[in-house]
Amino acid sequence: MSGTSYSQVEFGEELPALEPDVSLANVRRFTHAAGMTFPRFHDHEAARKEGLPGAIVPGIMSQGILAALIHRWAPSARILRIDTVFRSPILVDSRPRATGVVTDKNDGEHTVEIDLTIQNEAHESPVVGTATVAL
Amino acid sequence: MEIDVDKLKREWAGSTFDTAEFEISADDLRDFALACGETAPHYTDPSHPDFRAVPNFTARYVGRRILPDNFPRLSDGFGFDAGKCVTVLGPIRPGDKVTAKSRIHDIYTKTGRSGTMLFIVHRMEFSNQRGESVSIVDWRMVQRARS
Amino acid sequence: MILDLHNHSIVSDDGRAKVENYCQWIRKREIPLDGFVLSEHRQFDAVSDYRKLEDEYGLAILKASEVETDYGHVLVFGVNEAMQDAFDFRRIDLPLALVLREVDRCGGVAVPCHPGRPRVGMCAHFEARGPVDGVTVIETRNGGSRASEDERALHLAEERGYRGVGGSDAHIVSHIGRCVTRFPAPIRGMGDLVEALRAGEFEAVSWKSTSTS
Repeated sequence: MSGTSYSQVEFGEELPALEPDVSLANVRRFTHAAGMTFPRFHDHEAARKEGLPGAIVPGIMSQGILAALIHRWAPSARILRIDTVFRSPILVDSRPRATGVVTDKNDGEHTVEIDLTIQNEAHESPVVGTATVAL
Repeated sequence: MEIDVDKLKREWAGSTFDTAEFEISADDLRDFALACGETAPHYTDPSHPDFRAVPNFTARYVGRRILPDNFPRLSDGFGFDAGKCVTVLGPIRPGDKVTAKSRIHDIYTKTGRSGTMLFIVHRMEFSNQRGESVSIVDWRMVQRARS
Repeated sequence: MILDLHNHSIVSDDGRAKVENYCQWIRKREIPLDGFVLSEHRQFDAVSDYRKLEDEYGLAILKASEVETDYGHVLVFGVNEAMQDAFDFRRIDLPLALVLREVDRCGGVAVPCHPGRPRVGMCAHFEARGPVDGVTVIETRNGGSRASEDERALHLAEERGYRGVGGSDAHIVSHIGRCVTRFPAPIRGMGDLVEALRAGEFEAVSWKSTSTS
């Protein structure tokens, strides 16, 4: 892990990748905490009845995973804004990979922009986004 | 189906159509953070002096109404979630009572993998019991026009 | 000369990349690009002036549009006032035949993009409703498309004798340079690009497997 003060961060720096836990048990923990009752998030069979290949990870859990990616890289970072696009579902019990890279530095504000991606096992990017982070 | 987006915007965008209140629970804050893979104690340990919500915690909330009464339904259901943008304005702590005001922020159309889509940007503005603004969540809801 | 023909900036409603950051990324990652095209959704950005960035970073930064038709999305190169008078770039239901005809008449080139994707790509519409005359070039390599979607586009190109271009369809900075187009001759501006596209002198290249993003 690099130093995480503003002066130490470089344009193009990659955040350490994260392989998040999207097991059924953990997604159920999330949906309970988030008050999300739709069965498509915590029941494979119910999701298939809706035409999905299986239970899917809630979009806001993906967003939370990307926030955790940033915090693990820079524990003192303050996320000012996080913006994610949900292009297609991430499947529960799959093995996605969250990555981030610094794509802008604002010397006046001491903030950085980070490109965020969650890739699935087919190397597609069902979730992409950006974050503005104060360091 | 022809969608008059300018008319929809004129008629529906801008005004608050829903207000809801939520009480923040330490257990929910902790479990939300842990499930997302957070490790920092100020997000995962309720006994930490700076324990607080993760930045996108408010994205979980919906009001009593997702859309204004009588908003035209262009598809079955409310549509699907195309993405969320969370702007963090202040900390949210356990025991806080947050008030969320909902309005339609923007409406536009485009075509995508799902066909012709109506994008409704639903904005929720959260303030705490002291009247301090703590979060803004923009939720891009997509309705696919019935063919 | 290698150009990335399909990218979006913050000018597009779903774009999150600032143009200067694209330039910085290309140089920092030593991506062997000579330039890129900004093909903003449903509009032509006549206002932004990237000449200073071009000089600073030694990159060609060209402007085009991505419009929406009844046969999917189409990249429009060589946008001018006559073209913008001919049809409304903001509409999501433009007839493909109209776009092809008017773009050609006004001196540009219309290139159906990500043709292999469902609904927003031309292949599925051709299969359902038959082909439309006037297509000469399609995007056979798209950075945001699945491998099967690019394969479908390549197959269509071979079947119908279309030439293929490549573009990243980047909406965030780190996605530029995934798919590109190689030109044998220098491209100094949009005029040269349009000429090269009309002459069929180019090839699509995918850098997806080697891309740093």
